[in-house]
Amino acid sequence: MVLVKRPLKTRELLTMAWFMVGLKSADTTPAMLAGHTKNAVWLVPIASLLFLLPSFLLLMHLLKKHKNYNLVELIQHLLGSKIGTLLCLLIFLSAFIVIVLDLRNYVEQINYLYFPNASTTFIFTIFLLVCFITASKGLESIGSISWMFMPFILFTIIFILWLGQSNAVWNRIFPIFGSGLGVILTEGWNKSSLFLEMFLLTIGYQAFREPKFFRRGIYLGSGLAFFFITFFYLTYAIVFDYNTIENVAFPYQETTEIVTLGHFFTNVSTFFMVGWLICSFLRFSVFLYLLVWTFGAIFKVKPFESYLLPFCFLILTLGSIAPSFVTNELSVREVVLEYISPIFLLFPFLLWVMSLLRGRRER
Amino acid sequence: MKNKETLISRDLSKNQEYIETQYSHGVNMDFVSRPLTAATGRYHLFFYSTTVDTKQLSNHVISPILSSKKDVPLPALLAVPGIESLKDMKKVEDALSSGYVVIFQEGCREAYAAKIPDLKHRAIEKAENEKTVKGPKEAFTESLDTNISIIRKRLPSKDTIVENVEIGARPAMSVSLVYIRDLANPEVLDNIRKRLKSISVDTVCNIEILEQFIEERPLSLFPTMLYSERPDNASNYIAEGFIVLMMDNSSSCLIAPATIWSFFHSPEDRYLRVIFGNFSRFIRASAYLITLFVSAVYIAITNFHSQLIPIDLLLAIAASRERVPVPVFIEVLIMEFAFELIREAGIRIPSPLGPTIGIVGALILGQAAVQANIVSPIVVILVALSGLSSFTAANYSINHTLRISRFIFICASSLFGFMSLLGAIMIWTVYLVSIKSFGVSYMSPATPSTKSTHDTFFRILLKKERWRPVFLKPQDKDKQ
Repeated sequence: MVLVKRPLKTRELLTMAWFMVGLKSADTTPAMLAGHTKNAVWLVPIASLLFLLPSFLLLMHLLKKHKNYNLVELIQHLLGSKIGTLLCLLIFLSAFIVIVLDLRNYVEQINYLYFPNASTTFIFTIFLLVCFITASKGLESIGSISWMFMPFILFTIIFILWLGQSNAVWNRIFPIFGSGLGVILTEGWNKSSLFLEMFLLTIGYQAFREPKFFRRGIYLGSGLAFFFITFFYLTYAIVFDYNTIENVAFPYQETTEIVTLGHFFTNVSTFFMVGWLICSFLRFSVFLYLLVWTFGAIFKVKPFESYLLPFCFLILTLGSIAPSFVTNELSVREVVLEYISPIFLLFPFLLWVMSLLRGRRER
Repeated sequence: MKNKETLISRDLSKNQEYIETQYSHGVNMDFVSRPLTAATGRYHLFFYSTTVDTKQLSNHVISPILSSKKDVPLPALLAVPGIESLKDMKKVEDALSSGYVVIFQEGCREAYAAKIPDLKHRAIEKAENEKTVKGPKEAFTESLDTNISIIRKRLPSKDTIVENVEIGARPAMSVSLVYIRDLANPEVLDNIRKRLKSISVDTVCNIEILEQFIEERPLSLFPTMLYSERPDNASNYIAEGFIVLMMDNSSSCLIAPATIWSFFHSPEDRYLRVIFGNFSRFIRASAYLITLFVSAVYIAITNFHSQLIPIDLLLAIAASRERVPVPVFIEVLIMEFAFELIREAGIRIPSPLGPTIGIVGALILGQAAVQANIVSPIVVILVALSGLSSFTAANYSINHTLRISRFIFICASSLFGFMSLLGAIMIWTVYLVSIKSFGVSYMSPATPSTKSTHDTFFRILLKKERWRPVFLKPQDKDKQ
């Protein structure tokens, strides 16, 4: 018996979208971007947003127009079942590769920074186990838990940003375009798939009490995420400066190492690791769930939750292939992101054109 | 079709024989079978001498019968508040078992039950387990009638319904559902009735046993029904649209559906002024966090993240642990276990021996253990702190949840420090939000959010409480 059916509202999606997209501010992404753009790293998310916004708004417009569909159903409806399924598979595969690479990346961070003596596989397993159990409780529970941990994570974010200002030199934002405006725009275009979670979240368009809540949640959540990503990158730029930022692999953790809390607590990095870890657990739980949900929607499997465990095994196996953190991060992740970016930038336009054609034919 | 044997005969001696065999008259020392010969005819009385009010029996039943000159029907003759006519022996047996006096008359095909029971129970006393300083003091007692009368006193309205549902067979006991007719959600009510009817065991003698039969997840760490001994608490919940279950022989009631907040709240929070009440809630919330996490965090920090501790403190901890041979995890586990022992012994120990617990606890397990270098003083402080904090739990059921969860977190943090601890917290929390009590999410109304009194961590001004808890889907949502 369930008294309140489809209980999820704006706040749950807001936090899910915020954490999923926003955790980019505290992993190795800024290091990857800073390799090209130097201290202008904070402009890249803005550039990406500029490129992504039209296609994302178009997708949201299409979802609003064609009621009763989620992402996969919409694509299949507009493109027909064969081409539609192909595109859905492409999206699913991109997301799958990204989750594999990202998970390995996070596990390596935990391993390298906090438990250098432990085996990567072991940490990988524990991490995935937690995400699996969390995800298997369903979207409602993940949404609720995201909202529950929100105050704590918000507190961590504000605290680190505030403490970071004491080590910041604002003049370090100059040269404002770092290696040049062209580089920023190229990076913004190439790495826009960093934010593919926004698109992936639309699989849940029908799962909220009203679509209105979904739209509100995803706009607010992504907006907050972009705001904090930009702000964090800016903080890294003014804390580490033009040349150093290139060499900092883990800017978030480095920042937490630098800051102090008065004269008594001089090494508070572990405190900030707590918020970061919770956020990571949440992000990958949502990600895993959405991934399997997409899979279930493409192949019309219900209940798709039973595929969570096989997918976890697959992710664990594939994630362990890369011989080292450096290969995973620099060779594979960057290239993959560049390859899949156009898919997300362009597919809403394709859908839009098909929707127009279809509308005309019906008229 | 009625069985012929169970019909009441016109022949008084046949009835007498039947009842006497059924009730093992002569063996059952308190079963009285008493013939009565009056001017109007012959009568026979049956009752348990231990369950009827003997004074009323002689004054209002026996004397009117003996002194009557005309053949008036018994209901008109007897001056007792309740009299019922019984058509067959099954009903006679039910009436006798409930402690009524059953009267047979010669030549009459029906019997009468005079309701003058005098079942012994405790008087209304102060609440022992859910104490408040400000607010009513009375508590439920083991008599259902008394308990319902207290509830009726608090909710005097024709909409307050006390509905009985029979469960079990040996003997059949009735469970009373108390709710407000135009508030309680009929779906929840039906669900509770269905669960009650599906109980297939012979005996469910009290509410504490009943709880385990009707809850959704008997193996869960979290209770899904609120157990309370306070009538004010119960009636407050009824007035919000919740449903209360009561049984004879239980000095408490069950409130359903329950959310995690109801275990965290004490009725006193509402009796105190809003700031005082919220301050008390804040202290309690901190205590819950301390009791759950302090030992686990200590293990995680000292074993895995010692860089977090300022150097002076780290040296102090290291110095105090210098001569302790066991690892921190074992050390904490020993002390936590010892504390649980003291607590368990404290509950079971006969009260004259009570002070011994204090001496044993404080001296032997605290001071002596430190002096013997089995544990470090800092662990004694932490365990005492977490133990003390666990006593702030407003409800006894949640107390166990906190204590067991603490051990889970301690074990988790010994694996991989904060990472495994946070993983355990994630799993624990996601389980917490995923469970439902009678269709209501356990974390409502915080998440998923609905209109409600917003009485979660803190409460708002009573004047501003506009809505009843909408997560219950009450029939009337508006409170004002």
